[in-house]
Amino acid sequence: MVSLARKTLIHEWRRFLPATLAVGFSTLLQLLQAALVLGIFGGAAVYINDSSADIWIGYPGTQAIDLGRAIDGDVASLLDMNHEVTRVEPFYLLDGDWRGGHGTGGVSVYISGISTQPGGMMFARVLTPVLRAKLTYPESVIVDPADLTKLGVKVGGTAAINGHLVRVVATAPGLRALGGVDILASLQTARLLDSSAGEAGGPTYLVARLRHPANAGRVVADLNGHTGFGRYHAWTAPQFARRSVLFWLFNTGAGAGVLFLAVVVFAVGAIITSQALVAAVAASVNEYATLNALGVGRRQLRWVVLEQAFWVGACGVILASVLAGLLIWLAQSENVPVAVSVPVLSACLVLVMVLVGISGLMAMRTLRRADPATLLR
Amino acid sequence: MPELVPPLPSSATLVAQNIAKSFASGRLTTPVLSNLSVSIDAGELTLISGPSGCGKSTLLSILSGLQTPDAGHVMALSESLQTMDSHRREAFRLHHTGFVFQGFNLFPALTAREQVRLPLQYLDLSSQEIDRRTDESLEEVGIAHRHHLRPAELSGGEKQRVAIARALAKLPALLFADEPTSALDAASGQVIIDLLHRIARAHGTTVLCVSHDPRLISHADRVLTMEDGRILNDSRQLTPHRPQDRRASC
Ligand SMILES: Nc1ncnc2c1ncn2[C@@H]1O[C@H](COP(=O)(O)OP(=O)(O)OP(=O)(O)O)[C@@H](O)[C@H]1O
Ligand SMILES: [Mg+2]
Repeated sequence: MVSLARKTLIHEWRRFLPATLAVGFSTLLQLLQAALVLGIFGGAAVYINDSSADIWIGYPGTQAIDLGRAIDGDVASLLDMNHEVTRVEPFYLLDGDWRGGHGTGGVSVYISGISTQPGGMMFARVLTPVLRAKLTYPESVIVDPADLTKLGVKVGGTAAINGHLVRVVATAPGLRALGGVDILASLQTARLLDSSAGEAGGPTYLVARLRHPANAGRVVADLNGHTGFGRYHAWTAPQFARRSVLFWLFNTGAGAGVLFLAVVVFAVGAIITSQALVAAVAASVNEYATLNALGVGRRQLRWVVLEQAFWVGACGVILASVLAGLLIWLAQSENVPVAVSVPVLSACLVLVMVLVGISGLMAMRTLRRADPATLLR
Repeated sequence: MPELVPPLPSSATLVAQNIAKSFASGRLTTPVLSNLSVSIDAGELTLISGPSGCGKSTLLSILSGLQTPDAGHVMALSESLQTMDSHRREAFRLHHTGFVFQGFNLFPALTAREQVRLPLQYLDLSSQEIDRRTDESLEEVGIAHRHHLRPAELSGGEKQRVAIARALAKLPALLFADEPTSALDAASGQVIIDLLHRIARAHGTTVLCVSHDPRLISHADRVLTMEDGRILNDSRQLTPHRPQDRRASC
């Protein structure tokens, strides 16, 4: 089988190089942008992803985890009745004003009040059982080691939150969320620190573990179908994580910026690619016309152009994937917040191939000039 | 065994009746062909000659179905070209028609062998059959030893021979050539016209060739002389300059 598209691509690679590079660079930019956005805004879901709960229950309409409001504790009894639920934990998420030493002034912090029982779900991926047990002592808190200077304390030191004394008993890396400092405390300590105590009194969230995590969707639907247990809404953990990330992405304007850049990069890539394909078709327009004279249909000729576009795209995507892999690895080793999500990265690649397909369709129009009657003059 | 005596003009494979064609440029319409009738026979080389601009190429493109006439009918292999839609015409060309043009129109990226294989891939043929036909037609045009070369590495005459092999490999019943020698020197032109003549004899192909080169006249079985969109003279040569067929035993 002689593939005209591939042979031409190899023989006239210089002609196709700019298009391949254009596709490659737009892919690379998209991939890196996606990895950075996932890395940075993934912080919005740090509480969810660092915990082992399958289900989250919060105030209805909560758009992101840091925007939660106290819910009625009654819903816990509904969870207890569900046979799928094996464990339920309250989670308090409060605002606090931190006063450390060394003239750091006030720092706004998020206080997480979590269960200190062994096997607790909240921050299960960050806290060792020993660290979790340390929170049992009243007024103990744990912070991210990277936040120590900002907070003006050392491990073992004391500070004040909302006017109450706390002691930093340990540090745990991986607590940093978007734009804030996270402080871990026991449920009792958190309630003690709550400046608005008495207003509602309930936890901000209830989290639950299921016997079969795969059934989370069904359990959530079941929970949301009940009335009479106060105002609440249930999400699966991935749902709630995505909700939080998307909220941050689009309400900070970052999402719009990302989309804008993506559109610009794609448009440039599409134009360069289609121009290269148009030039390649135009250069061989008499040959295409001859094939048509010999009876090779226009539809088959269009396939040749589309195949050419496909190979240009494939080369660009492979080039970009290798480079992106290297750069993401480099970024990770330098602690730049990047994260890789297979669905998002595949979506980027699919989008690039769609772009390449569109370029091919644009280039196809050049084939109209391949009229065999013009060869007879 | 190739037939060396031209068949009687009873086997007309290409019949044009009262065709007319004019081109409009601005408000002016210039008639190029008017009320032209002709029939072309299989197994011989018919040459259309005449001064530049007299409508030779236009006639060829109408007879081959690349253009439609304003009036009149063309029957090719007993099928009416006018009643076909463009898809049917493409299919008809794929199965029955070969073309050779003045410019060789070879893809720069393909070797001689690949140029010949390419159109065959669109016919429903086994790959062995494609290989066989490719090798045979390269052999027939005498270029088998250069099958691995790209157009940039071939001479003009060789390129035209590859183009002929490409048309020939489809085993077309009709072979059209528009000024196939005018981009070539005299010796190469001689080789090409001989080749076309031999193809007509050996395969019983209807070969219709357009040229204003008077040197080719002696090689044709039949010469149609055109002027101003009309056929002025139709002369049959019973002993045309014999093709120098190495394989023909005479
Ligand atoms: N597509 C077209 N549009 C307008 N005029 C055309 C077109 N094709 C051909 N003509 C005109 O028709 C006339 C005959 O053209 P044609 O190509 O058939 O001549 P020809 O006999 O092949 O000449 P030559 O020997 O120079 O190739 C010319 O005057 C040309 O200008
Ligand atoms: Mg002409």
